[in-house]
Amino acid sequence: MNNAFFKKALTLASLFVLLLCSMGGVAAQDTVTLTWWTTSGRDSPEPAIRNVIAAFEAEHPNIKVDVSIMAEGAYNDLMSTAIAAGEGVPDLAWYWSNNWLPQALDITDRLDNDPDISRDIFHTEYFNNWVVWNDMVIALPYDIGANFVMYNKDVFDDEGVPYPTADWTPEDYIEIAKALRNEDKRRWGGDRPRGPFRALWRNMGATNPYSDDSTTVEGYINGPESVAAYTWLWDLVDSGATPTPADLEVLGTEGTGPVDLFIAGRLGMATLNPGSMVSTLEAGVNFGVVPEPRVPGNENWVHGWALRAGIWKNSEHPDEAWEFLKFWNGPPGQRILMEQGLGHFPPIPSLLAEYEDADTDWFQGFLNVLDATQTASWRKDHPCWRGAVIRGVRDAWDLIMLGEIERDEVQATLDAMVEPGQAALDECVPRLGG
Amino acid sequence: MRRGTEGAQGPGDGGGNLMLSAWRNLTAQQRRDAKTGYLALSPWMVGFVVFYAFPIIATIYFSFNEWTLAEPPTWVGLDNYVRMFTRDPLFVSSLKATTLFVIISLPTKLVLGLMLALLLNLKIPGMNAFRTIFFIPAVISGVAVSLMWIWFLNPDTGVVNTLLSYFGIRGPLWFWDLHWALPSVAIMSIWKVGGAAIIYLAGLQNIPAHLYEAAEIDGASKWSRFWRITLPLLTPTLFFQLIIELIDAFKIFTEAYVITHGGPLKATYFFLYYFYEEAFRNANMGYASALALFLLVVIMGCTVFVVRTSKGWVYYEN
Repeated sequence: MNNAFFKKALTLASLFVLLLCSMGGVAAQDTVTLTWWTTSGRDSPEPAIRNVIAAFEAEHPNIKVDVSIMAEGAYNDLMSTAIAAGEGVPDLAWYWSNNWLPQALDITDRLDNDPDISRDIFHTEYFNNWVVWNDMVIALPYDIGANFVMYNKDVFDDEGVPYPTADWTPEDYIEIAKALRNEDKRRWGGDRPRGPFRALWRNMGATNPYSDDSTTVEGYINGPESVAAYTWLWDLVDSGATPTPADLEVLGTEGTGPVDLFIAGRLGMATLNPGSMVSTLEAGVNFGVVPEPRVPGNENWVHGWALRAGIWKNSEHPDEAWEFLKFWNGPPGQRILMEQGLGHFPPIPSLLAEYEDADTDWFQGFLNVLDATQTASWRKDHPCWRGAVIRGVRDAWDLIMLGEIERDEVQATLDAMVEPGQAALDECVPRLGG
Repeated sequence: MRRGTEGAQGPGDGGGNLMLSAWRNLTAQQRRDAKTGYLALSPWMVGFVVFYAFPIIATIYFSFNEWTLAEPPTWVGLDNYVRMFTRDPLFVSSLKATTLFVIISLPTKLVLGLMLALLLNLKIPGMNAFRTIFFIPAVISGVAVSLMWIWFLNPDTGVVNTLLSYFGIRGPLWFWDLHWALPSVAIMSIWKVGGAAIIYLAGLQNIPAHLYEAAEIDGASKWSRFWRITLPLLTPTLFFQLIIELIDAFKIFTEAYVITHGGPLKATYFFLYYFYEEAFRNANMGYASALALFLLVVIMGCTVFVVRTSKGWVYYEN
């Protein structure tokens, strides 16, 4: 009897264990955990990130998101290392380095066949320039930004200078800067551009540092439009109405431009970005936004950008990752971030219209800037422009910034840049293409 | 002849046999000691293999490749080296800036460090406080020091130019002046001389006092005592400092990264900054590896040269 009882007990125990195992198996199969690396900042504070994830998990109980929030430097190091190793890349990540794009999953078909989301909801320029790569959609855009000129209305009123308008010219910029300069108040009129062949250069007709087919810098670096743009820079430096590089290094804010000087009223105008608008608002400064100046007749350009979140091409859970990606980058996630973050500007025009300051002058000025043609439309297919070619010809920039050459030496200086610029282009194109 | 050594010394025997037979010749206690020794060494050996040997070997391999990180490396043979030595103006600029920096900062730092150590060796009240104050710059983060010097050397509002203006001197633009940028970085580096001075100080305090007493009795002047006792007996420390400072000078990077960004006009375009730009901004890991190896060879060459010549000028008492 004891033996029979023992057998029954063993059978029941085995069945119970099997049942438990099978239940565990069902649970393990149904719940997928996605890894997600991100950074946080004013525009995407950690609580808002976690709120988006909580909202997503509430809608998708079988998908968990294991988020790692880290500093930007650590993020770059970890992503570069994981991508170089070809393993350990999270299911979802920011692909903000062009160099990482080959590792992002092509989501073209998913996007085009998903009834919940469409590429049409995104700002066309930002979508095409930032998440389309080699004719594939490799990410979804998030939090757009752009450079524009912010002007301090109180400083303008103080000096009796009319506010700039969207159709102003580079010459207007210098004249206004000179009019705003006030030595008694230790105030400069406007800041200096941060590099050549950005939006301002294009607005002056100097579109590219080298040809579209990436074969030559001759006639581009030293072409008449480029000479005119560099000469304009010479005039601006010579005007004395702008801070020197030394002043900007000391008083500027690393990576974001001289927003502190602007807020302090020591710069009448500054080329800044959306993050600066938020800081300026917080400081209670009365400001306006206009595009960078442009020579009449030229196209209106803007240096704009969007972050891009994508799925790793070797992710084991691409379907679940797509569900999260379209939530995070689609209206549900970006609305939460816009409402809870500080200065999060979604690349979704219908959402931007809901922004709390949407009817203000500065916000309308910002929207106006977003509609300009993006410099990225050329740059994304020409990866050698900055790291290689602009670095190769930086001496011309330095010489003007330091006041080391005369105005009539600009052409000769740029002619001398052709050789190093061409060498840099020839070295880079076979490696990075374009 | 001890057991087992005969075979090990025979023709054609490998090092493995030699080691094996040497191991067999050890007593049980010696073997236990040896095992303990290797066990104690193992963390360092593992660290060396993982963090030094393997990366160096990988760097050698990658220097013969083109590699943008996202795609697998492609073998290009000697292309990276050919480019470096024949058609890369930035390589020349960066090498020139770095060499110039080494020439300016190294001897200055060695001499000033010694002078400071001699002062810190004086027996006056509060000397420990002085030693601490002079040592502090050596332990502050490079980025913090750089940001501080941006303020110190600001042409308009900086402390240095303000002080100069009291004497009617218009100070230069420092980091933002073509001719002063590199000396400014050298000044920053020299400001951290306290670290070297502490090492010299340890050397100075190791010199037996009776040598000075004997020299004093013999009527030797202070100058003579310095040249004939202090300096010769300090040469091992000087030798050590020379090698450490030499390597350190070639590795100058933070100041260019934080303050000058290699400018103006490449005046501070140091070798490691160029390496950084190629590797992490230009996605050119293969070429960056070749640059890193070149720097390694240069530093190694200079170190070997210093070590070889040391027999002629370094004095060891024993």
